[in-house]
Amino acid sequence: MKVPTSLRITALAVAGSLALTGCISSGDSGGGGGDDDTISIGISLPLTGDYSEPGKGVQQGYEAWAAWMNENGGLLGKEVELTILDDQSSADRVAADYEKLINSDGVDLIFGPFSTRLVVPAAQVAQDYGFLFVEPAGAAPEVFTQGFDNLFYAAPAVADDHYDYLADHIEAMPPAQRPKTAAYAAMDDPFAMGTAYGLKARLEEMGVKTVVDEVYPPNTTDFSSIAAKVADSNADIMVGGTQYQDAVNLILALQQLDYQPAMAAFSTAPTNPEFPEAIGDKTEGILSPTGYTPDATYPSNKEFVEFYTAEYGDPPGEDQANAWTTGQVVAAAVEAVDCADPDPECQQQLIDWLHENEVETVVGPLTWDSEGRPQGAHMIQQYVDGKIRIVLPEDQAEAEFIAVKPPW
Amino acid sequence: MPSASDTRTADTGAAAAHAGRRDPRGVVPTIVKAVALVLLAAAIVAFPSVAANPFILSVGVVIMSYAVLATGWNFMGGFTGYMSLGHAAYAGLGGYSTALLIVKAELNPWVALALGALITAVIAVPVGIASLRVRGASFVIVSIAFVLILLLVFQSWGGFTGGSNGLRIPRPFGPEVLRPEQHERFFYIHAALLAVALLLWWLIDRSRFGIGLKAIREDEDKAQALGVPTFQYKLVAFVLSAFFTALGGGVYALWFGFLDPVFQFSILIGSYMVLMSLLGGIRSLFGPALGALIVGYAVEFFKSEYGDTQFHLVATGLLLGIVVLFMPDGIIPGVTGLLRRFRPQASSIREVTQAELAEQRAGGAHTGTDSSGGDSTGGATRAPDPQVTEGVHP
Amino acid sequence: MSLLLQSLVLGVLLGGLYALLAAGLTLYFGVMRVVMIAHSAFLILAAYLAWFWTTETGIDPMVSLLWTVPLFFVTGVLIQRLLISRLRPATLTMMSVLLTFAVALVIEGTLGFVFTGTQRRVQLPYGGADISIGGVNIAVVKLIAFGLAAASLLALYLLLTRTKFGQALRATIQHPEAARLVGINTERTAGYGFGLGLATAAIGGTALSLDSTIYPSLHWHWIGPLMAIIVVGGLGSIPGAAIAAMVLGVGQSLLQIPLGTTWAQTFFYIALFATLMIRPQGFFGGRLAQRF
Repeated sequence: MKVPTSLRITALAVAGSLALTGCISSGDSGGGGGDDDTISIGISLPLTGDYSEPGKGVQQGYEAWAAWMNENGGLLGKEVELTILDDQSSADRVAADYEKLINSDGVDLIFGPFSTRLVVPAAQVAQDYGFLFVEPAGAAPEVFTQGFDNLFYAAPAVADDHYDYLADHIEAMPPAQRPKTAAYAAMDDPFAMGTAYGLKARLEEMGVKTVVDEVYPPNTTDFSSIAAKVADSNADIMVGGTQYQDAVNLILALQQLDYQPAMAAFSTAPTNPEFPEAIGDKTEGILSPTGYTPDATYPSNKEFVEFYTAEYGDPPGEDQANAWTTGQVVAAAVEAVDCADPDPECQQQLIDWLHENEVETVVGPLTWDSEGRPQGAHMIQQYVDGKIRIVLPEDQAEAEFIAVKPPW
Repeated sequence: MPSASDTRTADTGAAAAHAGRRDPRGVVPTIVKAVALVLLAAAIVAFPSVAANPFILSVGVVIMSYAVLATGWNFMGGFTGYMSLGHAAYAGLGGYSTALLIVKAELNPWVALALGALITAVIAVPVGIASLRVRGASFVIVSIAFVLILLLVFQSWGGFTGGSNGLRIPRPFGPEVLRPEQHERFFYIHAALLAVALLLWWLIDRSRFGIGLKAIREDEDKAQALGVPTFQYKLVAFVLSAFFTALGGGVYALWFGFLDPVFQFSILIGSYMVLMSLLGGIRSLFGPALGALIVGYAVEFFKSEYGDTQFHLVATGLLLGIVVLFMPDGIIPGVTGLLRRFRPQASSIREVTQAELAEQRAGGAHTGTDSSGGDSTGGATRAPDPQVTEGVHP
Repeated sequence: MSLLLQSLVLGVLLGGLYALLAAGLTLYFGVMRVVMIAHSAFLILAAYLAWFWTTETGIDPMVSLLWTVPLFFVTGVLIQRLLISRLRPATLTMMSVLLTFAVALVIEGTLGFVFTGTQRRVQLPYGGADISIGGVNIAVVKLIAFGLAAASLLALYLLLTRTKFGQALRATIQHPEAARLVGINTERTAGYGFGLGLATAAIGGTALSLDSTIYPSLHWHWIGPLMAIIVVGGLGSIPGAAIAAMVLGVGQSLLQIPLGTTWAQTFFYIALFATLMIRPQGFFGGRLAQRF
């Protein structure tokens, strides 16, 4: 009796799910591409899981952009409608999400997801269906060597160029004042390592000796041993290729060992509004690269900051700005070629236009090379008098660069 | 504490769910089974053409892949009762070795797939030896530790594995094969792989080797005492399981085209395999595949309905907890048991009643009831060796 | 030289916390033959509760121990009574792994649901403070965590060796049937044993919250090393777990100097495989570990 019964159950389940597959796709996304009055844009973001923290910032940026567009006449005179799915911080899900957005929800355009590790699988889907893929978060150098011709990064610079202004600044110092030794600690993550190693390459070129070079896995919870190595080397400059929690842990571990470098630079974490709260009153002099500042004087930035602050209460951060920039970039292409539909021909026109033109954005004018790398540079921020300020490049500086960091 | 007492069998292991399976009228015509199988096969063959759009088709590929992985897992979990929470390790190894053989050694993708699975099986041998020398607890611990160690190694060894940058795999089919067409082909490849795995599982289930494995599951001490070479049997089942899981992982990697250690060597993927198998029923041939279908569908459904909350983890946890507490034998045995209640002569909770056993012994073992396939103990009752039969059902 | 000494000290401080947590994990196994995957999830839960307590009230996280320890003890007893004891004895070890795994998922999901995935850290006035002795810097928070762990381990040791309940518990671990025969209510003892194990997670979690950033999925990074420790120490052996934790913690810390962080982390797993190859019952375990 066994086999037939189990077979029958299985067959029943197969039949049942065949009938039900419709449910997955239909859902609540009725206003798809067929609608003539709206332009629907599909996005997958890590709203839950390990990348959810910055993923939320990108979501706010996208939503603010869509609201602003709709208040200001829409895109091509049509209303913009976002469909945001949650990829649960997983590569499998992000690919499935774009598959769904493109095929099942029939969106007209897509925007990129968050985190380098999710950009490549998502870009693959977009490329296979011929979609333009502008993304706010895949900064690692490797993203641009995969042969995607539809991909554009909507920020000023790729990861290894983030510290360019700091490197320039150090190079311009009198040799006697330059740091002699450097310690690097980077998370094993394409973006985080990219930033630290970009600076490492420049510093080694000018003869700064590397005394510690540590890479730690993303799951590292105890940083005291890494800190012990760094403290033991007593390097003049400490460079952290960090995300968020690892930077906080590492800095506290370094403080606990009473290590006092002349310069300390960490990516990502210091620009996070919660950072000073986590470190306490010991942030003074900490450096960090950033692609965005709310005080930037670019024409569109003012309305962005005003609109965003009115909507959310706080001025936007880097993630929000990158998302808004993504919207601006795609909108510029759409307005220029006057089409926004999933048809490969239209998408190809959008792609071609972006390869050849410059777009004014909240992070400055952007152009891209043939592989989608933006051709700008990041600014350098530093905690000065307890507040994070732009210190480099000098023509945009809001505060004086602190050359020797006070003890933390 | 297993003891020699014979009263325990009734309330342990498989026995409870397989009530009264020796229904005297229950010799089902082979034709019914054949028709059911053909219908199932037809449904699978027809799926790509009825799928509404490529997204539905891709969900089908994912579910099929789950089914292959869960069935692969069940070679170990189902036969021996050793539940590995870390089978993602073998799927990941299969994917990575396939990918690296294509990228570094420039092998043909399909040769790389087969070779990759073989390499994984070879790697599984020492792991199996280490973890199977002692009983279950250490096995589970090693299975989890192995995933974590591979995660560290594949992350750190960036020069070879691509590390945290991930590894892109070139497509096995040319650029003229569009993405929907790819989905369709990979759906069928997964289906073929599933068919092979099911066939082998069915054959083992009916073999003497399978009986030995199931004896280990029911009572390892007794099996050993009765001369089943438990360690060797467990090791073979384990390596076989790793091999099929690796094939599943390899095919999935070819389809997905991108590997990242964080997502490949994830405990959650391994736990999905366990959940699917357990839900469907680890003693049943089609149990894991059915579980894959339900879980795969539920994942999509919950995501599309309650998408953006952390709740999916809670739901997975609750489902696993409920299955373990209330339905440890899975849906197939559960439903079959329920159906059987309405049939005559379904009073004994034993798989084989004493009377039947006595008759069997007297009558020279075979009574001819073909009850194999979905059921573990079906094979055992057909055992030509009464000693083993007794070992399993004292 | 000073790096070596510094690493040694850090290793000992880390080993202390591992020892306490591994003692709890091995205790469950001892009394119930249960591999409690959710142990580290409860650890993170306790850390979250300590963080929540401090953010809400502004009182030091260690004060939260006053209510988290009893709460966890009761939870442990309930888990044993309501969940674990329902499983069939024959498949207890395997099924309990899955069941506690499910509990871990529920805890992780609930933490994410309630507190979001944002990484949290307790703000302490003495967070970055350190004491310098002979060229070695010891962080105050690490010292407190170590002291907490050491004191709890000592209390656990005294409880097990000096009290009647401890005797009953050890008897239950060593030979449940014999313990029943001499009149010990092994069911109840096992429940209390489970509660004790979970109480170690409450203490460990509070100690962890002093010096770590916490997020819901953090528990996966703890369970691997902890399980390696209890196998190396011998499943069910509390002194074994404590010694193995110390040895592995110090070993990891020292190996970090030549090998770097990532490869040093594999030390736990290499020790695990080596133990199973050379001495499967663990280095301090007896009969128990051999059979399971």
